[in-house]
Amino acid sequence: MTDPHLMKSPRSLRSLFQHSFVLTKRSVLGRLRQPAIIAPSFIFPLFFAALGSASFHKLAEDPYFTKNIATSFLNYAIAGAVLQGVLFASTSAAADLAIDIEQGFFERLLASPISRTSIVLGRLAGSMVVAIFQVTIFLMIFIGAGARIKSGPLGFLGLVIGGALLSLAMSAMMAGLAIKSGSSEVVQSTFPLLFVLMFLSSAFFPRHYMSGWYRTVADWNPISHIVEGFQGFINQELDFSQFAKAWLLPLAVAIVSIFFALRSLSKRLAAS
Amino acid sequence: MSSSPVSSSLETGLHAARPMDVIKVLVQRSMMRVRRMPSAFIPSLIMPVFQLIAFSGAFGFAVTSLGIKNALDWYVPLNAIQGASFGAVGVSFGLINDMQTGFFDRILLAPTRRWVMVAAPLAAAIVRCIVPVAFVIVVGFLGGMNTPGGLLALVCLAISAIGIGLVSCAFALGLTFRLQNLGAATLTQFGIFFTIFLSTSQVPISAMTGWLRSVARINPMTNILRLARQGFLGDVTWEGSWGGLLAIAVLVLLSSWYAMTGIKKFDQ
Repeated sequence: MTDPHLMKSPRSLRSLFQHSFVLTKRSVLGRLRQPAIIAPSFIFPLFFAALGSASFHKLAEDPYFTKNIATSFLNYAIAGAVLQGVLFASTSAAADLAIDIEQGFFERLLASPISRTSIVLGRLAGSMVVAIFQVTIFLMIFIGAGARIKSGPLGFLGLVIGGALLSLAMSAMMAGLAIKSGSSEVVQSTFPLLFVLMFLSSAFFPRHYMSGWYRTVADWNPISHIVEGFQGFINQELDFSQFAKAWLLPLAVAIVSIFFALRSLSKRLAAS
Repeated sequence: MSSSPVSSSLETGLHAARPMDVIKVLVQRSMMRVRRMPSAFIPSLIMPVFQLIAFSGAFGFAVTSLGIKNALDWYVPLNAIQGASFGAVGVSFGLINDMQTGFFDRILLAPTRRWVMVAAPLAAAIVRCIVPVAFVIVVGFLGGMNTPGGLLALVCLAISAIGIGLVSCAFALGLTFRLQNLGAATLTQFGIFFTIFLSTSQVPISAMTGWLRSVARINPMTNILRLARQGFLGDVTWEGSWGGLLAIAVLVLLSSWYAMTGIKKFDQ
């Protein structure tokens, strides 16, 4: 807290960036120093992807799958793994913010001459940085395991940016909840809901092969469309629909969620 | 402990309470905890049913395309076993709580044999795993699950689920006596999770490829799932049963031994 950047006027845009940068750095370092918390967001998505590709590889014998969806189940599973990893990591990042509130660090930030907005923005930017590293590492592991990105380096980049935007959207939503509730338990308790939403989507299996009410739910679930945008970057040539699903949809959610997070912050400030 | 008159009376069995009475009381106490803290038990009830719906909805095509009539026939036994294991592990959460509050030390001072301290949670685990298993089966029937094996299908599933419940609980107890913190229950849950998923949880061995096929072939859970599933996919046969029964017997013995050595270490 003795950082000279933090002593500047909180009103200027420049200080907002400087404060956000310092808090982003703190957020990223905080994640790296807790490998036990970040490890599940790497282990479980990769495990499920490996499990899926070894269990459902016969799906690639279906001409519809190879023509319209992916060349192998490993290629299909990448997007689900990225989504799962980003959602896990975003939830635990927001839980860190709630822990800051529980332990009183948040109050100390408020007492310091720091831009209020940067408290939220720093945490969100930290999540995006972690997501960029996470998606890059995932893609390198998958490529090493035999996956191929049809749209080349641009598709790679598209997926990394898509992962970062999704992280922004989810972190902002969870940060809003963390600030509103001030409880890490409340933030963690939302994870089963995300888990349900992930399973009721095409994150782990293509919608084409689902039927009945489950298919209807998956059709309406926004996660299905985001993950299919991610899959498009890997398994199709680049086109606008992938950007719309993988970038614009998370961006729209992010705008609403950031508004919610900042509103929760101003309510907490007004109450304190 | 071994030199004191109390411990010598324990060793000879003098003044010791009757084991079955102690087990009964401790099982009742465990059930009371379920009634008083339903929030700790409800997840082990809901998660298997949710997974049943999710797996059969999402991966249904993968198993029905292999000739299985209804995806529920494949996934009900899997999720019943999962429910049993997670319900049983809940017993170790109670044990950790008892250790933290000092109640477990008081139980250890009572004139009771040490094996009773392991047998009572195992008995409680059997009772606790009945509800999630029954819930999954009811949802399965509501969803149109088939049981060509008749009543024997349910008997095989019950044996498998109770067996895995016992193994999970005994392993969790062994770890809890050694670690004495919540990490023991979490580690057990991870262990169960990976053991179940590295078997024929999602698809039969014939549909698997590569590393998973090799792991699933040597994973004892594959035999246990075969025992549990056979009556839902066809007739119950000895050929489909003995491997699972043997695996359950060996795992129950090993995990109980682990729990017993754990309580001895805790004593020391």
